[in-house]
Amino acid sequence: MIILVGLSHRTSPLPVRESLAFVKERLAEALQRMRQEAAVSEAMILSTCNRVELYGRSDETTGAGARLEEFLCAFHGRPVHEIGPYLYRLTAADAIRHAFRVAASLESMVIGEPQILGQVKQAYQAAQDAGTLGSALNALRNRSLAAAKRARTETGIGQNAVSVSYVAVELARKIFGELRDKNVLLVGAGKMSLLAARHLVRSGARATVLGGRTFEKAEELAAALGGRAVPFESLRAELAAADIVISGTGAPGIVIRREDVEHARAARGGRHQRPLFLIDIAVPRDIDPAARRLAGIFLYDLDDLRSVAEANLRERQKEAAAAEALVDREVREFLEWQKSLDVVPILVELRQRADQIRRREIERARKRLGGLTPEQEAALDAATTAIVNKLLHPPTVHLKEIARNGFAAEQVALIRKLLGL
Amino acid sequence: MPSHVYLLFTLAFYAVGALHVLLQALTRRKLLTSWTVTATLIGFALHTASLAQRWTEAGHFPAVGLHDVSSFLAWAIVLVFLMTYTRTRVEALGLVVYPVAFALVLVSNMTPAAESDDPILKSFFLPIHATLAFLGYAALFVAFAMGLLYLVQERELKSRSPRRLYYILPSLERCDTIGGRSVEVGFAFLTLAIVTGMLWSYRARGVYWTGDAKEWTAIIAWVLYVVLVLARHRTGWGGRRAALLGIVGFAAVVLTFVWVTVASGVASAAR
Repeated sequence: MIILVGLSHRTSPLPVRESLAFVKERLAEALQRMRQEAAVSEAMILSTCNRVELYGRSDETTGAGARLEEFLCAFHGRPVHEIGPYLYRLTAADAIRHAFRVAASLESMVIGEPQILGQVKQAYQAAQDAGTLGSALNALRNRSLAAAKRARTETGIGQNAVSVSYVAVELARKIFGELRDKNVLLVGAGKMSLLAARHLVRSGARATVLGGRTFEKAEELAAALGGRAVPFESLRAELAAADIVISGTGAPGIVIRREDVEHARAARGGRHQRPLFLIDIAVPRDIDPAARRLAGIFLYDLDDLRSVAEANLRERQKEAAAAEALVDREVREFLEWQKSLDVVPILVELRQRADQIRRREIERARKRLGGLTPEQEAALDAATTAIVNKLLHPPTVHLKEIARNGFAAEQVALIRKLLGL
Repeated sequence: MPSHVYLLFTLAFYAVGALHVLLQALTRRKLLTSWTVTATLIGFALHTASLAQRWTEAGHFPAVGLHDVSSFLAWAIVLVFLMTYTRTRVEALGLVVYPVAFALVLVSNMTPAAESDDPILKSFFLPIHATLAFLGYAALFVAFAMGLLYLVQERELKSRSPRRLYYILPSLERCDTIGGRSVEVGFAFLTLAIVTGMLWSYRARGVYWTGDAKEWTAIIAWVLYVVLVLARHRTGWGGRRAALLGIVGFAAVVLTFVWVTVASGVASAAR
């Protein structure tokens, strides 16, 4: 059975989570100690900035849960009574459901955030490397990660950017579709504009950096983006050639005036009806807000980008319901599959089959032997039953014993094959 | 089964498509599910059967009178939509296509079939000419729909606070490209339809041009679309203005079309 003890952003404040986090360097050691001190047969630790969770496998739940709590506190040198109130303890199906939901990022602070999947993968990998991953946790790993991927591709929880620089890229996609060969003009060089420009360039756009007071900086930036640097005086010409403009200078006033935009539009010739996407991430703003009213001009400032990000988040939450349903379905399937690994049906089937064979053989013998006295009948029956029981005794005992550590699907298949079931 | 029974079933399947696409638009990101597409394909097959049946019933190609015209137009629109969808996977087009296809089939269901034994309708020119014309109009309808989607998406982007439609509709450039392509295809078909129409007229009456209202419709639409196609090709012209012209052009076609059917009645469609 899987037992989970942990705490997350929902149950605890950051300082508590920080004090209980496992650093990568000590993870292998922690896993080993966890298996020993908490007496669990398998161990996995998921430690991110939003959650610390210990997954263990044991036959008895209450004792193991308490031991896991003790281990978590002891490892970090914190008293149990202080940490206890922040902890949740889940067992069996509840623990499994939780593991699925975490991997699918349904438990994340920002639903649908993509990092958690990688963090969960790493946690399982670390357990595997430390040798504390067994068949139960490994099955949980495979199924929960597959479900998380499905949730991501089949519902919209992972869609729609919630960070400002990604929002800008997504808007560009909504305007231009393909970003290949689109011209991106960078005015000023902040961290955020570099981030957004980098995404655009990665999608095939070409970057041009407009130099400010120091041309070297523009050249540096252009080199980093694989583009070219041009002097500030060519603003109007570059504006005319641009599809996307990212402006983020530290200038105190307007850098790109409405007339500049109008001029750029007129200079685009036949393309003057084509959209021009202006992103103003400077505070105070670089681009005259009046340019917004021009046809074909899409001007977004920082506040606009933020409000799009918020709208995106609301969209994601709607999609979360669909993802929840999908994950629920996957959990149910997993639990059912787990049940199928149970050893009892194998034993029952084995007994039935043996008995069937025995009866058939008695029937045959009777035909050959002719009439038998009741005593002879009873003796025949007793002898054959004893043979079956003696033959089946060792596999029955051993199967039950091994079953306590759980089977992998392949093992079950092998056992069935060996026994001719 | 008589053609109008097939048509009734067609209506039911298109209704499923229309309702489903609208419901999906309210709740989910994916507009067309495999259910919608399957319903549409079944509806389309029944629709084709209905037209074939109607052809034998009427004794001439079913493109005469409101009953036949609306049914055939819906058929052409669904066909062009399915082809566009297969190529581009633009699901939002369904938002415009499904209600219109449903409405046209509904109109056809509610109007009696016009019977005529005018010998001119037996000409082999009728199926060729009518098919070209209707496919052309259907393609121009798709251009109209893409123009609409362009304007709505542009409004969403301009508003800077996206609502439901922002997430569902394709990018501006995509609307523009598909709209432009549809205009080209529609224009080519329309040209061929005009040529075959003239040949038909010459064979039947000895003149290429009768000055009939329907002929004027086609010519006016043709001139409008010549401008649009040339402007796009020569100057790379596109975007909002092209979207608007695509809408206006199609609106002009529809208006003249309605005017022709109402003003000159059933007979003119065959004259």
